[in-house]
Parts: sequence; C-alpha cells; structure tokens
Amino acid sequence: MTISNGHDVGGLSAVVPGFEFDEKTDLAQSPAWFLDGTHSVPPWTPLFGWFWINFCRHGMQYGAEKLSLPTVKGWDWRFKNGGGYLTLLLVKTEAEQKAREQRFREAIRPFVENYDTLWQSQLDEILARYEELKELDLDKASNIELLDNFEQTINVCRRMWEIHMYMMYGTFTAYILFENMCRNLLQIDDTHPLFHKLITGFDNKVLQVDKRIWEFSKQAEKLGLSEIVLKSEPKDIVRNIEKAPGGRDFMQGFRKFLNEDGWRMQRMSEMNMPTWIEDPTPPLTNMKQFIVKGGGFNLEEERAKLGREREEAEKEVLAKIAPEQKGWFTTLLRLAQKSGVFSEEHDHYLDLYMHALMRRSAVGIAKRLAAASTIASADDIFFIVPEEIRRVALAPEQFDLKPVAAARRAAWNEWCKTPNPPVILADGFDMNQAMAVLVKSNDPIALKVVVGSMPVVRPELKADLHGTCGSPGVAEGRARVIMSEDELAQVQPGEILVAATTSPSWTPVFSFIKGVVVDRGASLSHAAIVGREYGIPVLMNVFAGTQQIKTGQRIRIDANMGALFILDK
Amino acid sequence: MTAKWIYVLEELGQEHLELVGKKCANLGEMTKLGMRVPPGFAISVAAFEEYMRATGLGAGIAACFAGRGDELRKGVQAQMDASAVVKQMMADTPLPPALAGEIRRNYEALCARFGTSDVPVAVRSSGAVSMPGQMETYLYVRGVDEVVSRVREVWQSTFNTRAIAFRLEKGMPVDTAPIGVAVIRMVNAKSAGVILTVVPTTGDLDHAVIEGNWGLGESVVSGEITPDNFIVNKATMAIDRKISRKTRWVVSTGRGTSMADVPADMQDRPCLDDKEIQEIIRTALDVERYFGAPQDMEWVIDHDLPFPENVIWVQARGAKYATPRKEADADYIVDQMARLFRT
Repeated sequence: MTISNGHDVGGLSAVVPGFEFDEKTDLAQSPAWFLDGTHSVPPWTPLFGWFWINFCRHGMQYGAEKLSLPTVKGWDWRFKNGGGYLTLLLVKTEAEQKAREQRFREAIRPFVENYDTLWQSQLDEILARYEELKELDLDKASNIELLDNFEQTINVCRRMWEIHMYMMYGTFTAYILFENMCRNLLQIDDTHPLFHKLITGFDNKVLQVDKRIWEFSKQAEKLGLSEIVLKSEPKDIVRNIEKAPGGRDFMQGFRKFLNEDGWRMQRMSEMNMPTWIEDPTPPLTNMKQFIVKGGGFNLEEERAKLGREREEAEKEVLAKIAPEQKGWFTTLLRLAQKSGVFSEEHDHYLDLYMHALMRRSAVGIAKRLAAASTIASADDIFFIVPEEIRRVALAPEQFDLKPVAAARRAAWNEWCKTPNPPVILADGFDMNQAMAVLVKSNDPIALKVVVGSMPVVRPELKADLHGTCGSPGVAEGRARVIMSEDELAQVQPGEILVAATTSPSWTPVFSFIKGVVVDRGASLSHAAIVGREYGIPVLMNVFAGTQQIKTGQRIRIDANMGALFILDK
Repeated sequence: MTAKWIYVLEELGQEHLELVGKKCANLGEMTKLGMRVPPGFAISVAAFEEYMRATGLGAGIAACFAGRGDELRKGVQAQMDASAVVKQMMADTPLPPALAGEIRRNYEALCARFGTSDVPVAVRSSGAVSMPGQMETYLYVRGVDEVVSRVREVWQSTFNTRAIAFRLEKGMPVDTAPIGVAVIRMVNAKSAGVILTVVPTTGDLDHAVIEGNWGLGESVVSGEITPDNFIVNKATMAIDRKISRKTRWVVSTGRGTSMADVPADMQDRPCLDDKEIQEIIRTALDVERYFGAPQDMEWVIDHDLPFPENVIWVQARGAKYATPRKEADADYIVDQMARLFRT
C-alpha cells in the first residue's frame, strides 16, 4: 500500500490535499515532472512535505507574478511518496509574453537601483514575524494559543516563501545577465576561475556563523577543553564539556550564541531532527573539526585573502571594459556579487530559520497530543498533517490519530527504501525534450540551480570523469562519498567530499576539506558558492561521481579543466 | 474664511503653500510630522497685501511701473531705476498699526515662551514659487522694532532688480509679488549642515550624505569652506567619514552674524558625533519614507539642549540629484534583462 495519490487510501486522506501526484491528470497538464533531488532526497516526512509543496509552490508563482517574468509563471509542484515533483508553468502566447515584459521592466527596477534597501526591508519584515512567533511560551500556552501559534506559523511560512522566491528570481536574473555580459565582453563564463574571483570574498551570515564556531574552538583551546572535545563521542560531548573546569561557562556562552543563530537543523529541508538549540551536538562537532584542523588555520585570514583577490580581479576586468560601458558594467557587477551573497545567506534567514520555527510550533502541539494519547509519541507529529492537527488540537483527548500516524510512518519507511524516479515523463516524451522545456522557460532558477552547463569532454586529458568548474583550483586526496547528512560527521580533514548535492547546513566541513565533487549543480548552487568562499576547488555536474567513486580512493580534481582522475582504481 | 495675517507654525501644512509660501508651509508640515523645528510664526501673503492696500502703496507702485511701460524691457538700467524708486517708497511707508501690532503680539508671545524680552529670531522670505536671488534672510534679529523693520525689508526684496527682471522674463505681473515671511527662533548652533538622502552627484539611493561645519549652517550652504562629509549606508547604517580642517565658521555677533576663524582645537574635530549622526539619519529616512522621495534637509545641533532634543530641523524639501547617467545605466540593464527572456 502506498499513499501516493489524491484519493484516500486505507482510510487515510492525502498528505497534501490537492497536490498529490496523479499520473493521469498531471501528465496531461505537463509531459515532464522533475524530482527536486536537492531538497526531497531522502523523502520528506508528510508534515514537512505539506509545508513545502503548498508554500514553495506558492512562493515561486508569487515571485514570478510579482516580477511579471515574461516567459514563466513559476513552477507547479506535486507530492509523491515524500518526493517533490516540479514542472514549469510557461507563458503560452507571444502576446502575453510581450505584455508581461512591459510590466517586468518596472518590476525588476528596484533590484537594479535599490538592492540593499530592498533586501533589508524584506529581511526586517520576516525577522519581525519570526520574533512574534517566538513570543509564545509553548509549555505554558493554552491549547487555543498553541493552535493559533501553529496557524500563524503557517502564514509566516507562506510569507517567507513569497520573499524567498521574489528575491531569488530577481537576483538570479541579474546574475545570469552579468554572466552573459562576461561571455560577450570578456569571453569568460561562470565556470571560469576569473569569474569566480569577481564574485567571491564577501562576508555573509552563513560564514559569520561559521566564524563564531571557529572562535569558540579557539576559546575551547584556551580553556584547555581541546582534549575533552577531541576524545568525546558526539553523544557525550555536551556532558563531558560541562563536567570539565570552566566547561559550564563555556557551554553557557555557546548556548547563548545558539539562541541567536541556532535556528536550524542538520538537514535544511526537513523538520524531524532537533534544532541546534535543542541539541548542540552538531555545531559542537563542527567546532571539534576546527580543533582537529589545528592552530595554524585562521578563518579570518583566509577570508581577507579572497577579498584581496577579488579586488585584483575587478581591476583586471574593468581595465578591459570600454569607458562608456563601465557605468552599467560596474552596477551589474555589484548586483551579481550581491546575488551571490543572497544566494548563500538566504538559506540561513529564510529556509533554515523558518523550518526551525515550524518544528518549534509543531513540537509544542505534539507534546499535548502525546500527553492526551492522541498520538503515540511527540515525533508522530511529523506523520500527521495540518488538517488533522486542526481537527484535534483543541480537544486532543477526544481523538485517536495513532493509527493514522503509524500507517503514514510505515509508508514513509517504504518511501525511504525505494528512491523516487528522477523524472516522470509522459509516453513518447524523452529526457532531451524535457530539458529543452526547462531551457525554453528561461526560468532563472531552473537555469542556475537545476540545469547548469554541461561538461566539456577533453579526450586528451584521459580523465575518468568530466565536470564543470564551480570553484577554481586543483586538489588531490582521499575521497569521501556522502549520501546524506547523517554521514557528515565521518568526513575527515584533508578529504575530498563526493556527494549528489550539498546543502547549506554542510558549510562547516568546507573549512577542512580539500575539494568537492557533486553530481549535479550550477554556479549558484550551494556547493559552488561555499567552495568559492572557502577557496577550495569544486567540480560540478559530473553526474556519476557518487556511483563511480568509492570512499577511500585517492582522487585528483582539476576544476579549472573540468577533470577528475581516480588514482587507485 | 478670510486669510489671517499671521499663523503659528503648528497651524500650517503643505496645503498652505499659496497662503504663506513654501518655507513656512514646509516648516508647518515638519512640525506636524513630529520633527523638532524651532518655534515661530509665519506672516502670510494676506499681510503683505494688507500693507499694500491699507497704505495705498499698491496703487502707487502699480502707477510707477505703468508709467515706465515698455522702457522697462529695454535694459537693466531702467529696471534698476524702478527698483530703487519702489524700494524707497516702501522704506518711507511704515506698516499699518493693526498689522504691526499683530507682529508685535506674536513676537512677544514667542519671547514669553523663552522668558526673555528680545529672543533672537531669523527672518526669512518664503515665496510661493522659487525665485532665485530673492531669498532674503536676516539672522539674530532681536527686539520687536527690529523684527518689524526686517519684515518690511524682506517684502522690499521682491522689488530687487533681479526679481523684477525675473518676473518680466517669465511674463509675470511686475508690479506685485506677494510673499510670506518666516519668523523663527534662532538656534544656538554648535554645528549645522545638510543631509541628502541620496548621493546627489551619482543618484545613488542606497546612501545618504551629511555635510556640516561648526557654527551656523550658512557656511555650509554657501560653499565657502570644505565641510565634514559623512556617507551613510541607508540599509546597514555604516558611516564613512571624511573629516576636513574647518578653518572658518559663521557665528552670532549678538545682532547679526559674521564669518570668523574656528578655534584651533576644534578645526580637525568632527562636528558631529556618532549618535548625532544616527539621530539625523533616522529622522531623515523617516521623512523620506513619508514623502516617498529623497530629501534635502537642513539640521542644527543646539549648543544648550541635551541629546536628542538638540537635533533641530530648519528645512526639508525634495532633493535635486543627478539621474541621467545612473538612470541610463539602469535603463540599459533593465532592457538587457528583458531580452534574456526573449526566446
């Protein structure tokens, strides 16, 4: 039994009513549906999938409409066995494209003329809404207040996705234009090392958080806690630190930092694992890695160096631009640089933060439901959906959702065992045609995050795998193949990370690995941006990296040439 | 409702532009916005007209211009002659007692608020349309007789040669040009200057520019000295400072003002501290949001009042700034962005 379509199955209602994948009607609407491998592998829990499908979908259509993108109206999404499947909503007639283009010219202008103010105002708004959600003391709240907090959380999530996608469509449009201009004027594209230097070396919130953790590693060394941290198993690390002299104060400072910046979970797009505030083990493990890396490493110096390299690259490039073109070129360069910063730090302020707050509100209700035996345990909450939560939240003891939660949990376990297909195509429609639709949409997000550019095969290199350059450089080391976040703690300093994709919550390992190989990605994917900020090579779009490379093999990557060599086959 | 001769600033707003002139209407609007503005009153266009009517001056001046006819258009000399004659006629004609009495009552009320008999005020012209070369301003005016006499001098200035020439050129009536007058308490200025919520030379809307000097603001707007310059990022509030050596300032002489040397120990010190800068930018951005357009504003830091009451505003208006280059760049970028979507 799978719970996959829009109909009730075994007495269970749909996970995301109205958005369950239905082969017949959905393939009639669009012949190609792509799995969102970045966010929905492994499969989502039902509650998280409900939030994502409803509001990521809404946000993309809101963003495309607010900007009046001439050729695309955002993406449509469906839920299937814990996977998110997406297709593009193309503008159908040329007349409509023309009309939309007129409005687009007005709508995109604030990004060009007033970007800082624009982003700051959106950020201020959403952070204020987060604070309102956090005001309620969940343990003391009445059932009415808890349900109200949950409803507000739904609203704030919806607003978060509106801001997210409006900003993302706008900034990515600027980034793509800059890349095109670089191709025309400088004959370099966004896989070229010089291009990377131009948009690297800026501070952003994600890096600031890493820096705080690095500073804590220095403090731990000073307090003589290094030995304890290094020797502790992850599960004992908090307890062992607190037992040590000075450890209690250290942990107090660390928890204070987490209360501000710990609104995140190990996996970016899920809510069934504890936040850093609930369980500081993941950030402490990151801190441990900094200690392993040793005293010579200085995060601040690394960052300053990249900043200087960028200034050099800017000089080099501007010298090649004709004086009458310098005005707009400089404006566009700044905007592309800001797009890179947005691309990275929005994960902290938008996705990670919101998902942590969704978890907070849901767990608040879950405790009441578990206490009333409506569900078997608090973490059953991730297997029921808001329609059911609304039904039971005010008088939980009147209802029994245990069978529903158990059935869905069983289904979810099945989903996790059987991977979702990467694409669902109508009969007679092939992958090339499907990719052509993506390209034809001109959808900035599809182009910069999903599609990317195809690797150029250079037979003379005799490489084992080819990819595109996400961040320049050459590295050689032991491969570490990672299939999910759970395996992140296994990564050792000096290794080369091999993964399908990476997520922002992986950032801390970037500071001590030598390089990254990802199966899919484009220049604004997470791996590329963070690789550039940490000055390590990133090879992208190798497609079969996780299949052909085994952990422990020595590999060499030359991101500049787009080549990967397996040294001990 | 007939127009009054005098209004206190709190009674006024943008809608009174025709009645009291731009400067007074602005000060009234600023007061309504809750900005700290020096207290004072506005003498309306109706007061000017009353002076002209009750004294018979209006008819006399009209006859004087009518008698000169086309001759006026022929050369500057004829305009200078007419100006001299009319201004003398006004100098010989005191204000009607009722009008002078109104001004006296309002000035005395202002004095009473500060517990003194001769509170120093600024007497400034307030035209309904901007007329270059006509903005007469008298600072540190003290005592009721002095105030009445300066008001008449501001009125006289509408018959300056330049003002006559301007009206002739624009095809406006030459024999009358009613204006308002602002009478506001002088601020004991520690420092003063301007803020623009846009970089005027580039049209950069993400930054604001503050310029200031020690003493009264006249030294900054005159452009005679190099003021301190602060560029503030409107989003992050980060401040970029250029502190200049400020050798000259405008100070009070008791009655009137003069340019003088800045004491050596103050010359290289910034004329604003960080919290004053933050207060200035905060208010300016509020005003910018309210009007929905970049602002050009004048601030004064009072020597005697505690922070933040010491940050006082004397002007707020829409900023003029260079747009052509920046706009052309933005147009080009927007156009190229639109092309990205053409299939």
